[in-house]
Amino acid sequence: MRRKDATQSFLPLTPAMFHILLALADGEKHGYAILKEVARRTEGKVRLSAGTLYGNLARLERSGMIAESGRRPAIGLDDERRRYYRLTPFGREVALAEARRMEEALSQARAKLLIHKPQTT
Amino acid sequence: MPQSQPSRSQKFFRILLRLFPFDFRGNYGGEMAGLFDEQHREVEQQGGRIGLLRLWTEAIWGILRTAPREHWDILRQDCLCAFRIMQNNRGFTAIAVLTLALGIGANTAIFSAVDAVLLRPLPYSQGQQLVFIREQARKVGVDDIQWSVPEIKDYRRQNDVLSALVEYHSMSFTLFGHGDPDRVKTGVVSWNYFDVLGVRPLLGRSFRPEDDRIGAPPVLLLSNEYWRAKFGADPNVVGQTFEMNDKVHTVIGVLPAIPQYPRDNDVYMPTSACPFRSSKEMIESRDGHMMEVFGRLKPGVTLGQAQADFSTIASRLESEYPKSYPANLGYAVAVAPLKQTLSHGAQPTLLALLAAAVFVLLIACANVANLTLSRMAKREREFAVRTALGAGRIRLLRQLLTESFLLALLGAAAGLLLAYVSLPLLTDFAARLSPRAREIRIDSGVLWFTLLVAFGSSIVFGSISALFSRVNLNAGLKEGATASGTGRSQNRVRSVLVVSQVAFSFVLLIGAGLMLRSLVKMLQVNPGFVSQRVLAMRINFNWSKYKTADRYPELGKKLVDRIETEPGVISAAVASSYPLQPELLSGGPSLNSFQIEGRPLGPGEAPPIADTVDVSPAFFRTLGIPLIRGREFQPSDDAKESKIAVINQAMQRRFWPDEDPLGKRVSFDDGKNWWRIVGVVGDVRDLGLDRKPALQAYVCLAQGGGVGTLLVRTAMDPAGMGDSLTRAVHEVDPTTAVSEVLTLDRARSESLSSPRTTASLLGLFAALALVIATAGIGGILALMVSQRVHEIGIRMALGAPPSEVLVMILRQGLLLASLGVAIGFGGALVLTGLVKSLVFEVTPTDPVTFVAVPLVFITAAVVASYVPARRAASIDPVVALRCE
Repeated sequence: MRRKDATQSFLPLTPAMFHILLALADGEKHGYAILKEVARRTEGKVRLSAGTLYGNLARLERSGMIAESGRRPAIGLDDERRRYYRLTPFGREVALAEARRMEEALSQARAKLLIHKPQTT
Repeated sequence: MPQSQPSRSQKFFRILLRLFPFDFRGNYGGEMAGLFDEQHREVEQQGGRIGLLRLWTEAIWGILRTAPREHWDILRQDCLCAFRIMQNNRGFTAIAVLTLALGIGANTAIFSAVDAVLLRPLPYSQGQQLVFIREQARKVGVDDIQWSVPEIKDYRRQNDVLSALVEYHSMSFTLFGHGDPDRVKTGVVSWNYFDVLGVRPLLGRSFRPEDDRIGAPPVLLLSNEYWRAKFGADPNVVGQTFEMNDKVHTVIGVLPAIPQYPRDNDVYMPTSACPFRSSKEMIESRDGHMMEVFGRLKPGVTLGQAQADFSTIASRLESEYPKSYPANLGYAVAVAPLKQTLSHGAQPTLLALLAAAVFVLLIACANVANLTLSRMAKREREFAVRTALGAGRIRLLRQLLTESFLLALLGAAAGLLLAYVSLPLLTDFAARLSPRAREIRIDSGVLWFTLLVAFGSSIVFGSISALFSRVNLNAGLKEGATASGTGRSQNRVRSVLVVSQVAFSFVLLIGAGLMLRSLVKMLQVNPGFVSQRVLAMRINFNWSKYKTADRYPELGKKLVDRIETEPGVISAAVASSYPLQPELLSGGPSLNSFQIEGRPLGPGEAPPIADTVDVSPAFFRTLGIPLIRGREFQPSDDAKESKIAVINQAMQRRFWPDEDPLGKRVSFDDGKNWWRIVGVVGDVRDLGLDRKPALQAYVCLAQGGGVGTLLVRTAMDPAGMGDSLTRAVHEVDPTTAVSEVLTLDRARSESLSSPRTTASLLGLFAALALVIATAGIGGILALMVSQRVHEIGIRMALGAPPSEVLVMILRQGLLLASLGVAIGFGGALVLTGLVKSLVFEVTPTDPVTFVAVPLVFITAAVVASYVPARRAASIDPVVALRCE
């Protein structure tokens, strides 16, 4: 399968998957950090449970969108149970494609005057 | 840092994590637990109970949503992987699926019959409340006497346990107005018969009380089968009129397809429409036994209570009417569930066949386990690689079980197809055992059973192969690890499997052997008459035209005289019944108690009972029944002479063992008339080749009696003479209906159809088992030879001749077979007791069978071992040693 086709085959992403990819976009994180980041960024609107988070992490890992990071923090700061995840280039591509898909949908909604453009003052 | 004890919430969360697949837990379980602990701590610190509740709700919901998806993902992967593997190993897959299909198909087919006949509730509403009630004369061993009208009235009025008691009897009448005179089997029933059974007509209405009053306009209900066969399922048949017994009968409805018991009828009429049942004599005579009785228990009444109530009424009647119920007969009434009555004849056969089918399945499973084990040896490297890549043992076992289940599922699908194809044959077979056979079908219950069997089989053969391959999972990557040490332990497992296959097959083969021997004995038994070139046809005089029985002998004589003028006819006779007549086998003979002149019965002594047949003079000659002494009936014997009878040898042996019975007199009507014995004829097995000849008395038809059949001995094959003989009958009387034209050879062969089919099915199962088991022996020896090439090479290099190697391998094959035979021998001795009721003149430990079957097995084992043994003997030591 061509890379582009492979990217498309994952779209649309579930909201949880998209938020996880976004959380990893600015650097590798462990599970709890991902969860906190998603809650902070969405002002608590998206709350991931442990089951949902790791179910999605397993799925993203299997499909090659994220990978376990080999790097670990300094010994004093490390919790050995924690694993760190990073976004792979393929994961970044999929997240980008999903963002574009959403953008397109949004602009269509605007064209149909379903929602208004943000007003400039 | 020492680990602190986990809190209750931590423990509970870890328990929840068990819902995830093993591998998922291994990968993420620790992290998830850690993450949950942190969340829990944080919420606790914030001090909110609502927060904790929310956390738990989200956690539990998240796990419940995610875990099934993970399981499903794994299953999907395993299935895809399994299909790929199957595609790459088409030979193995085909053999495994076919083997399982035979096992599962046999079970599905037999189970569909067991389910329909023995398990499913009756297709009547509240069928468990329905009972069948018999009158019995226990002291003389008669367990099913029909009822008279006064008896039915008494029991109906006096019982407190039934919500309704209905009667039934079946007669054949001639129906005019729809093509040729058609002889229809007519069920004569109480008006509420179908209401009591809970059967609503498919079309039209059921009987009403006014239909059952004497003098009511006659009405008919058509059976579903008759309606389809004769009227092409025409719904406009309701309201049509036909002539029967000189009266116009109106069709008022059509019945749904229901099991009819005790026999299938074409039409049903209320009692008032039957000229015999509605006659004054029948209504008044306590001794006019003609009807069967069914009842519906009142809600809450048990069978025991019903039996007690009926027994009380029986003893009351016994003392009230001592003439009708002499104490020496042992009058009693037995109440039995209708469901049991309908199926008890089929139970031993069907259960024996189900057991045989289960054996075939076990053998099939052992065989597939063996095949899988052989393949496991080839897949060791694959598993080792997967283990090295992180797949856990449980993950691999799961994969193996998924593969097994898919194989079994494919086998089940093919088996279902086999069962479906064999259904018409099976129904035909079961119909000889139970009227419920028509209910046999593959429905959701049978489908669930098949699925369960497939699942069970996959567990059996999947876990055997998975468990015994586990040993190798870590050894595979080692250089040259082609199964040496582990191979030996696997060989042991394979040998055990082969031995058990042989043992199970042996038991099956013994069962089939016993049935076959019993069938051969039945075929060889002397029936007491010569069945070749005799045609029998049922004769039904128009009841309404010949109202008095004294016309029958005269009409019978006319028929015989006319038939004897037909070209190709050697002799002809009429009689009330003939040996092995299908109706006689299902309905039973005409039994009469009698007394011997000069031998009064002692107090309480039961009177003797004989099977009486009314026959015309040429009867014995036509059937080839030998005259032993005295004389046959002659054309000159007529009603004016004193009554005479001919008895069979069994009756002579029983009552006049050391005397000449000729000239002795017996009475069948309490001394009103006396029949002088004028001859003794040979014994005839008229009720079945497997039944001992009954005590039989033949009475001279010319002196009164019933005509039921015409028997014709011909010079050539009589099968094609039915039409010309029917024409001849119609020349004598066009209103006489002729039916059931059958050669005696055919009747004889049909009387054996049930044991023949049982023997064939068991034989088929046993043959399958034998083939599978011997293939198993051949397979394991071939594998052993391929594993021992090196060792055999050394032996031969050291001077062992090929013949010694050949014998060595043959010996191994024989050892496996002998072990299996020995175990099977023990099993067979225990289990064949179960088929005791199915075999004739063969003991369950029949020496011939128990000698022949091991010989068959040993021969088969030698043949199966010969191919690998030859291969071993032809090994070139130089090549073998160089290979290593």
